[in-house]
Amino acid sequence: MLVSVMALTGCSGNGNGNGNKATNEPAATNSETAAASEAPASEPSVFKLGSEPINFSFYGHYDWYSMPAWGGDEATKWIKDNMKVDITPVQSGGNAAQKLNTMIASGKLPDVIWMDRGADVEKLREAGMLVPFDDYLDKYPNFKKWVGEEAINMLRSKDGKIYQFPNWYTSQPNGNAGYLVNKKIYAELGSPAIETTDDFYNYLKQVKEKYPNVTPFNPDLAIDGQGLDVLYGAFGEDYSPAYVANRAVPSGDKLTSLFLDPVFRESMQFASKLFREKLMSPDALTQTKDQVKEQAYNGTAAVFAGASPTEYGAVGDSELKKKDPNSGYMMIWPVHKAGLDKSKIWSGTYTQLGWNVSVITKSAKDPEKIFAFLDYLTGPEGTRTLFWGPEGIYWKGTDADGAPIFTDAYTSDVEGRTKMMDATVNFQWNGNTVFIDTSKMKFELTLPEEQQSWEARWQNAITWKTQKNATEYINLAPAPDSEEGIIAQSFEELYKEARAKALYAKSDEEVLAILDKAQKDAEAIGYDKLLAFKTTKWQENLKSMKG
Amino acid sequence: MAEITAAVTKQQQALKSKSKVRRFLRQWDLQLMVIPALLLIFVFSYIPMYGVLTAFQDYNIFKGFLDSPWVGFKHFEMFFHAPEFERVMRNTIIISVLKLAIGFPAPIVLALMLNEVKNMYFKRFVQTVSYLPHFLSWVIVSGFAMSILSVENGSLNMLLQSLNLIKEPISFLSIPEYFWTIIVTTGVWKEIGFSSIVYLAAIAGIDPSMYEAASIDGASRFKQIYVITIPTIMPVVIIFMILAIGNLLSAGFEDLLLLGVNPILRDVSDVLDTYVYRTGITGQRFSYATAVGLFKAIISVGLLAFANLLARRTGNSLW
Repeated sequence: MLVSVMALTGCSGNGNGNGNKATNEPAATNSETAAASEAPASEPSVFKLGSEPINFSFYGHYDWYSMPAWGGDEATKWIKDNMKVDITPVQSGGNAAQKLNTMIASGKLPDVIWMDRGADVEKLREAGMLVPFDDYLDKYPNFKKWVGEEAINMLRSKDGKIYQFPNWYTSQPNGNAGYLVNKKIYAELGSPAIETTDDFYNYLKQVKEKYPNVTPFNPDLAIDGQGLDVLYGAFGEDYSPAYVANRAVPSGDKLTSLFLDPVFRESMQFASKLFREKLMSPDALTQTKDQVKEQAYNGTAAVFAGASPTEYGAVGDSELKKKDPNSGYMMIWPVHKAGLDKSKIWSGTYTQLGWNVSVITKSAKDPEKIFAFLDYLTGPEGTRTLFWGPEGIYWKGTDADGAPIFTDAYTSDVEGRTKMMDATVNFQWNGNTVFIDTSKMKFELTLPEEQQSWEARWQNAITWKTQKNATEYINLAPAPDSEEGIIAQSFEELYKEARAKALYAKSDEEVLAILDKAQKDAEAIGYDKLLAFKTTKWQENLKSMKG
Repeated sequence: MAEITAAVTKQQQALKSKSKVRRFLRQWDLQLMVIPALLLIFVFSYIPMYGVLTAFQDYNIFKGFLDSPWVGFKHFEMFFHAPEFERVMRNTIIISVLKLAIGFPAPIVLALMLNEVKNMYFKRFVQTVSYLPHFLSWVIVSGFAMSILSVENGSLNMLLQSLNLIKEPISFLSIPEYFWTIIVTTGVWKEIGFSSIVYLAAIAGIDPSMYEAASIDGASRFKQIYVITIPTIMPVVIIFMILAIGNLLSAGFEDLLLLGVNPILRDVSDVLDTYVYRTGITGQRFSYATAVGLFKAIISVGLLAFANLLARRTGNSLW
């Protein structure tokens, strides 16, 4: 198999081996081209992107995802023309689960699938439908360099091979979880300190008294956790919201029940108190994202908390400023229970593996060429083009680190730049977080405060400092049709119900009674078995991270 | 004597079957027209039925139907012993009985009332307005319902508050006790107009001379409805009743899924179809979901046969 791939690509590689430097790469990418051309010395079969056309199909495995036409915007058009890459979209049609199942059942898989890590990828791999990347890693420079050894180890499947190309992977903290505060209301109430959970409670009470038409606290889509998970972090030092997301709390070298976790119990009591006293939005569990946004854009809630409140925070900030320049949004350092160390409070998590992955299926005629393209896309050159558009408009040339040097148009033509960047949002398949964030921040920090983007300012000041690394807790979920998977499904329902009931409880004692009952019910359906499974997975993760 | 009668009946039977065949042959060109419909049903309804066999397998999407192992009644047993079984069955039956008891007679009553309206324009107007909601998808209808029932700026809460009937707004969609009422009401609102069309058509077919005769005999309008309209449309009502009973285990799906988002409502909102959706599509347990679906189908066929049996006594059965 390996030999035949080598032989195949060998033909193309040799023919163009000398054309390496003749391509129209920006001059300042010397470091990468150097790295790339080092490999060919010993490996003559490296595929040089752009040396011949490649064409493959791409499927994004999400209901909401619809791939725009490749080449329909300036950035992808540039890549299409100069790198000779053409991509045919396969759309999910709003029903991803069914689409993928149909494609598997009929044996017509797309060349690349962009999907969540975990059970689905494992299933495809076990069925022998994926192409391992191991042979390509040393030939193409970017994957190894940017994803990093630790994350690569975490990506390995059971058979020790790598099948997944991660997206938004990172080696430094990122993420947006936290608290969003309405500036105007805050100033009118005398800008009180909101540091402890008691301060927070008192502040919300004040809001309720003075502004009867304002929702004191909107926890975003609390049905998915969101603001409730952010609050969880306030009640324990180094308690990561990932514990709630995994429904398992580490204690020693074991994962234990969430319902018995004192931090969870206390945070639920606090949340229930807010809800009971009408300090939290009564629609917390039923509201839609549009309702949350509406409140944010109209300034009808005093505090928001969620996994990514910066999205509506940035728009809301500019909306509110249109009406009143002193209004807008700011973020605050995550609140903590009195007596705890605020530098050990986390409002969100990030994982080194980032969000999701691309896999190449056996349907692909030339997997190595596709890999070469993905590798290009995640490298500085591809990232610059895809993220900020082709060179010459909003950036020209690069600095020593490969970061783009932004032109004046970058700050003066915000509208055009936003348009250009928005057009490629759905092409960010293997986003290089560290490269983008450092390039962006380096530039933002040279600007005066009023010219900085709202998001960048608060990410830099607060959110990136308050997200905890949760890489060791990834992939804990069992396969849905395994015994543990069936338990997990029942448990999930039990958990959601218990959390809703606890939130609606009439007293703090009732909250505990509900959680105790949930624990008993969970034991009856086999929660212990599920925890044991997750513990094993977690220990495996810890081991593979060490390499 | 007995021999003679036996011989006669035999002869009659032979004659009858002969004449049936002859009749069929005489209509052969007409009978041909049925074939496309039969083919369609065969190809799209009967052939795919082999899929229910996956309920007896551990279906693996990669191996396909032929290579998946057979496991007998494993998935049925799992369902009967599942912790959700009791709750799902209870909700299914209660919600569908409620829908049948209220949602079934409602369009008949509307049709009877519309029939008494003498102003044609008003009648047409009411008819159009009442059946428009049928064409809205549940996503939109549930969106309406949610915004009307919402706590913040929900019109119902605002109305009740301005009438001083309540002090604090009520969170209608998070109180389990209200859920069944909301589900039945929205269902009736959406379908009442459209379902009434059939009954209106049946009423339109009644000979007006019967009403004239009745009014000459001095029957009041209510009396006329009772002795003329209702008995005449009874066959239609009974046929629809049989079909409705056959659907008794289909308590609804989209409406429950969309309006019952709050997990606090799971106790009252989880029915067979939402359960199948969650386990089968979301949880990818195909065999299990098929088993639950098959279980539902078998009970439905039983119910249908039973309802038909009852209807046969009135002489209006389906078969």
